[in-house]
Amino acid sequence: MSDARTTEAGEPTGAPKSYGAIVWGQLRKRPSAMISLAAIVLLALVSIAAPFIIGEIPVRWVENGETSWPIFRYLSNFEYAAMLALVLAVTVPLTMRLLRPRALIAGASPFTWTVLVHAGLWLIITFALVSFREPERRYGFYLERADQVDAAWFPAIAYPRNPGYRELAFKNQSPSWEHPLGTGRLGNDILMGVLYGARTAMSIGFVAVGISMSIGVILGALSGYFGGWIDLVLMRIAEIFMCIPRLILIIIILTVIPSNWPPLWMVVFVLSVTGWTGSYRMMRAQMLRIRTEDYMTAARALGIPLWRLLGRHAVPNGLAPLLVGATFGIAGAVFLESSLAFLNLVQTPSWGEMLNNGRQHPEHWWVWASAGAAIFVTVFVYNLLGEGIRDAIDPRLKI
Amino acid sequence: MRTYIPKRLLLMIPTLVGITLLAYAIVRLAPGDPIEAMILAQSGDIDPKVMRQSAERIRERLGLKDINYWGDDVATHLEQLEKGDDAAKGRAAAELERITGKTFARDIDSWKKWWDVNRFDFEKTLIDPAEKVVNVFHGYGRWVGHIVQGNFGESIKYRSSAYRTPDGHGSRNPIHLFLERIPVTLTLNVVAQFFIFLIAIPVGLTAARHRGRLFDRGSTLILLGFWSVPVILSGTLLLVYLCKGGEGMEWFPLAGLHALDAEDLGWWDYLVDTLWHATLPVACMVYGGLAYLAKLGRASLLENLRADYIRTARAKGLPEHRVVYHHALRNSLLPMITTVVLMLPAMIGGSVIVETLFTIQGMGLLTVNAAKAYDLSVIMTSTLVYGTLTLMALLIGDILYAWADPQVRYE
Repeated sequence: MSDARTTEAGEPTGAPKSYGAIVWGQLRKRPSAMISLAAIVLLALVSIAAPFIIGEIPVRWVENGETSWPIFRYLSNFEYAAMLALVLAVTVPLTMRLLRPRALIAGASPFTWTVLVHAGLWLIITFALVSFREPERRYGFYLERADQVDAAWFPAIAYPRNPGYRELAFKNQSPSWEHPLGTGRLGNDILMGVLYGARTAMSIGFVAVGISMSIGVILGALSGYFGGWIDLVLMRIAEIFMCIPRLILIIIILTVIPSNWPPLWMVVFVLSVTGWTGSYRMMRAQMLRIRTEDYMTAARALGIPLWRLLGRHAVPNGLAPLLVGATFGIAGAVFLESSLAFLNLVQTPSWGEMLNNGRQHPEHWWVWASAGAAIFVTVFVYNLLGEGIRDAIDPRLKI
Repeated sequence: MRTYIPKRLLLMIPTLVGITLLAYAIVRLAPGDPIEAMILAQSGDIDPKVMRQSAERIRERLGLKDINYWGDDVATHLEQLEKGDDAAKGRAAAELERITGKTFARDIDSWKKWWDVNRFDFEKTLIDPAEKVVNVFHGYGRWVGHIVQGNFGESIKYRSSAYRTPDGHGSRNPIHLFLERIPVTLTLNVVAQFFIFLIAIPVGLTAARHRGRLFDRGSTLILLGFWSVPVILSGTLLLVYLCKGGEGMEWFPLAGLHALDAEDLGWWDYLVDTLWHATLPVACMVYGGLAYLAKLGRASLLENLRADYIRTARAKGLPEHRVVYHHALRNSLLPMITTVVLMLPAMIGGSVIVETLFTIQGMGLLTVNAAKAYDLSVIMTSTLVYGTLTLMALLIGDILYAWADPQVRYE
């Protein structure tokens, strides 16, 4: 280990950088890609922290000298799961460093181990939350009682979440300090709509693209690596899905799904089922190239088991081009989701729905302008990032 | 070429079969009973027995009538028992006794009475899971059989006394609805595609020639911005601020592709009227497609400009415009044919929103309306129509490519 070509941490110094590191290095040189990446992280943060920014449940509440933190009782299990996912995603480098010595002994890359450990942690904690924790749902009348207590920290904009009699007095107000983006026709705060729409858009984008990419990568790897009848059958299936325009297929599937099923998960389902063909084709093409490479022959000659051959050597080398597809895919998912809500085919708290409501009263410009701007900005930053990654992995650029 | 096209046509058959399977599977594998959901969507709260009766009728019309597979047989046997000759009556009675376990022999009135009372329960109980799988294939076979004969079922939503069918329902065959609307959607798409080419290719080529400079970066960013504007926003804005009945300028008509009195106009006025109506929808379809094609053209030309033959051409002392437009450009347009053809399904599907926004009676609006009204036969037909259209587009693309590039081998 104390060879002259390795450092103390055991990293080879003279060895060529990994493909991922090269792409990341190229990406870091592009300000537009970095800005869009920051914007996406900000968007994710804001949509997770929405209850802290706007809502009726106080963060801190002091009544009769007793201090309580109500918001943590009211946050739903999914909100906790999303926060946990964010924390785990941010701490990936830390765990990698922690796992590095042991992972080297086990012979797998620290990144793989970290991802596995974090995914396992997330699954266990989320499962425990869903099984054992019952979030508070009772209406606390916190806003009404705010003057009578010792101290209360409300979210930045204290405003009821549910449209009710209270808000109807405030309907259709243009933007003001109290309501930075104005209010809608039921007195609903538009900023709240934008924030909760961001949650819908972000979660649908990430989850649907994650699922469809996983399907595409697995099927594409099998199809490209084995060829033969597996390839033939899978390719025909993909061809059938590609022949029907995606929006049409989605509309058709949504029609036959019972309308009392949760719309959010239905949208995720249809987007995943219809979206895998792109990454399938890309992965298949990559695999056709990779399986003839020398390192694959070497790995096969060493007698490495098949799942490791594919999972550790073949698939990671074909993933980079799929990143482009993933970022454009998320942008497309946001588009599709808002279009479906706009066409009234699903009832999700969505920017598309806001746009549809705003369309009926164009004189209340703040409604449609906020929703439209939100869709535009989200899609634009994802597209910008996709462009950046595409340029970064372009083989014609010097590496 | 002469062997290539038939071969290509033969290869389409398994995909077409797959599309019919998908269309059928979506309706059959749907959780719950889609037919009963459809009836609920149409008529709200109704008596379960009435619902089952109408569900049965609709299944029969759609060619999905397989849960009544046995019931179907019983009905046939009953008819035989009533009208057939002596031998047929004997066989029918024996069959009925075998299926039902009742012993009414040839007593037609008892059979009918029993059948009226027990029909639905009987049908439900006789179906075991294995039978059900067989029935699904049975139903699929029937449905395909109807389609081959040109019977695509009956529309629930689109009825008209002007199109009275023999059974008097006045419902229309969905394929006729689509045949009326295909030209509208295709025209919109072809015109939009033409404008996308007209704008995007020169922009992409200019960007490639000025690589890394202001025009390149600026055009990429602006087109990317256009791409990111959702049609639902831009369409709404155009409708509100540029159309009649809106808030701003009243320059364009609000809906449709023709004026109400378009039939009475001369051909010139008709053309002008159509163009006037189509401007905004086509604009909505064009702006989003520019970024992709421009980027593609730029990459393609850049790759060719690096090729050896370009260096040779420059070394020969050819003028720059001849090098670019005569040598590089021609070679870089070729690979774009495939990509453009692959874009077609997205384009055809993408006009759904535009058609809905501007109330253009095309295939997209038809599908959306059918989806909202739970019009299953129209929905199944739309899968088939879109699938077939896309397959044909892909075929034309392949043929064009083979024709344009003699190096393509027809294997």
